[in-house]
Amino acid sequence: MDAWIEFGRGPLFRLCFTLMVLGLARIAVLTVIGMVEALKKNEDKIVPWRELFNKTFTWLVPVTVLFRTRPVYSLVSFLFHIGLIITPLFFTAHVLLWKRSVGFGWFTLPQSLADYLTLTVIVGGLLLFLMRVLYGPARAISRKQDYVWPLLLVIPFLTGYLCVNGSISAATYRWMMLMHVLTGNLIMVMIPFTKIAHCILIPFSQLVTGIGWKFPRGAGDLVIETLGYKDRPTWVEKPRLGCESMDRVEREADDK
Amino acid sequence: MNRVRNFKLILWMILGLGAAVATARFMFGLGVTTNLSDRTPWGLWIGFDVMSGVALAAGGFVLTATVYIFKLDKFHSIVRPAVLTAFLGYAAVAVGLLFDLGLPWNIWHMIIFWNPHSALFEVGWCVMLYLTVLLLEFFPVPAEEFGFLSKIRNFLIRLRLPLVIAGIALSTLHQSSLGSLFLIMPYNLHPLWYSPILPVVFFISAIGLGLMMVTFESLFTAWLYRRKPEMELLERLGAAARWVFLLYLAVRLGDLAVRGQLVHLGGGEWQVGMFWVELAIAVVIPTVLLFIRAVRRSPAGLMTVAITSVTGIVLNRINVGGLVHINRGDTLYLPAWTEIAITSAVIAGAAVVFLFMVEKFNVWERRPADPDAEPTRKPKFHPVDGSWLGEPGIAARTKYSLGFIIAAAIGFALLSGGPVESRGVDPTPARMARGGDTLWIDGNLDGYGTSFPHLEHIRRNGGGRSCVKCHHMNLPHDRNSACYQCHSDMYLRTDAFRHDRHSSPTGANLACTECHVKGQVRNVESAKRCDECHNDLVPPGSSIKVKQYRAVSYTEAMHRTCIGCHTIVATSKDKPDLSRCTTCHKGQRNVTDATVLASQKRRLIGKRMVLPPIYRK
Repeated sequence: MDAWIEFGRGPLFRLCFTLMVLGLARIAVLTVIGMVEALKKNEDKIVPWRELFNKTFTWLVPVTVLFRTRPVYSLVSFLFHIGLIITPLFFTAHVLLWKRSVGFGWFTLPQSLADYLTLTVIVGGLLLFLMRVLYGPARAISRKQDYVWPLLLVIPFLTGYLCVNGSISAATYRWMMLMHVLTGNLIMVMIPFTKIAHCILIPFSQLVTGIGWKFPRGAGDLVIETLGYKDRPTWVEKPRLGCESMDRVEREADDK
Repeated sequence: MNRVRNFKLILWMILGLGAAVATARFMFGLGVTTNLSDRTPWGLWIGFDVMSGVALAAGGFVLTATVYIFKLDKFHSIVRPAVLTAFLGYAAVAVGLLFDLGLPWNIWHMIIFWNPHSALFEVGWCVMLYLTVLLLEFFPVPAEEFGFLSKIRNFLIRLRLPLVIAGIALSTLHQSSLGSLFLIMPYNLHPLWYSPILPVVFFISAIGLGLMMVTFESLFTAWLYRRKPEMELLERLGAAARWVFLLYLAVRLGDLAVRGQLVHLGGGEWQVGMFWVELAIAVVIPTVLLFIRAVRRSPAGLMTVAITSVTGIVLNRINVGGLVHINRGDTLYLPAWTEIAITSAVIAGAAVVFLFMVEKFNVWERRPADPDAEPTRKPKFHPVDGSWLGEPGIAARTKYSLGFIIAAAIGFALLSGGPVESRGVDPTPARMARGGDTLWIDGNLDGYGTSFPHLEHIRRNGGGRSCVKCHHMNLPHDRNSACYQCHSDMYLRTDAFRHDRHSSPTGANLACTECHVKGQVRNVESAKRCDECHNDLVPPGSSIKVKQYRAVSYTEAMHRTCIGCHTIVATSKDKPDLSRCTTCHKGQRNVTDATVLASQKRRLIGKRMVLPPIYRK
């Protein structure tokens, strides 16, 4: 058992951790290359940088956007993310493992704060799962991995919490630790290849849409022509045809 | 085209593995990533990456000489790939060297700090200069694609002949000076390989190897890209190579015969077998095959010849580079998997750049076409899940990067996760001293030495247990401290103590008051005793009793050993000038002041100068 735990935090950890770091770096680089190529190919090279930047930052704290419509969900999701990111990175025992292996460490969380954050993640993960199951619109756009992820993420936190705080026998401790190590590795290896890759893709998610999602030049004119609105002005201020201007065209057409 | 993509995928995976190992090498050092030690400091990286890498790049200068100097224009179509191969080969040598050097960031030192006596100095300069020349020779090819570089391109093309000449000169120097490196070790290298004309042997084999390497590269890429190989040219190269090989064989055996070393062939050592194997696959078999016309005309035959001889000559470089050195101790050096990974990654990197250049620029007369990338071709979906990775270029990018990171992760997983430590110094068994009372020390063997009163040093430093003061266990091979380490200053009477080392940020980095008492004048009296900090300086129970941590200066120590004796001999032989400064310092007549001499004499007699026994008659 101990050998398995050692394997899990030795070679297996190195494998999974490297795959996670390099995998995230890889998709980030591929995304940037893809964006540059799309921008080169695209005839319409106008990118609303400021707008996209603001949007990205607003959605980084979703409470600001979602609080009115789904207050509980937005709060739970936000706290869940904070605990999920901070706890594993600054947990004292984890940093000590790093120090033992590569020779350097960093500052750590006090144990009590780490405990609270862990509990937040456990409760938050379960709540998120329940909300996804019970809320109809969410269920409608959910894939299989969307149900699995919150539960999978909770497992290492639960086992870790029990190992630190629970009064459990040595044999149970080992089982818990093995579960902790293995699920932790599994999560790390899956991050770059599943939706959790959003942890690195967040800065690009708005940008990709802004750069790649363009109508071909003159497409608007052709549509207008087909619709028979050729004699009316379709846009004035911007040489681009977005949804708003299309609405306006429709509205104006209806008015007439 | 799939052949190319699969090959590239393999290359990228090797690069990934190499990247993981390289990270470990630069983070944790050579001890964790290699099987090298102080006894075997040169291993696979020198023997293969550097020695063979340079030799494999010989095709560049051979072909530029053929085309631009001897004006054999029909070889023009294979000059460009040959120059590119040479450039990448040299770049690989430079990169490979960075891994092998203990302090790679000091590699620029040879530019500023010249040591013209060193063969390595010449090697380093040749690599640097020839790499530049190759870059300038090849630069016009990629520059074709960029209009704004046309002026530089035209200038370089006009400069081509001088560049070619410089390249040939530098290559000649360099290929041979790799052989010169080993001239210094006649007793280390096995006599079947050691020869005073080792530079010549290296040079001739490099020419043969260059021809074979061009052949190999041409045939391999032809297979890879499904092109038609330039058989007509390659046949001629093969025909030329056989005469080079014959010359090499004659020189090698003739040299052994002239120097009377053929007798070694009768010995039963494993090196003799190695000699025959090497000679057979490097020269004999290829030459015999090359004399058969059918072999020269078939791609498969030429490929066989090329692979055989390239392997053989690389084996020769590895042999000379370390494998057949004698007196290497009992430990057998075998490269660690990490060393092989780095070597493969360096080669894979060069290959990736080569393929990139070939596909993007006019290295060949016609660029290879990618049948998958035709715009009219329909996308191919995955037969099972129906997915599509995008256009061939994008799909390839996705696959290569995935291969890279998976290989890197496996590399990291395979690396040792134990505590970071090197194998360190091989323990040297302690043995009794040779027991000279006085030793003649002439470190640089220029005939001017000093008689070192060993017995007197033992007496002064505390008797039989005082050996460790100079013969440190922490220096490789039980080397002793140099004189200047105690007699540190040139003219002053000094401490046997390096103050700057203790105070400098790169040394112990101590504040003044950590040793000197606050508020007092900072001198020897106000300082701590050495053993207050170095409490393991003298082991408990040792018979050494350190009375003072001071020694006379280097100049003083040197002078005492000479002048004391000279003074005595001057009186006994009735040669009063013998002890004057100008007897030894011929160019410096201003120190012959009588009063200075008199005071010096007084002082020396007062110090009870200990004279070496050889002068005591």
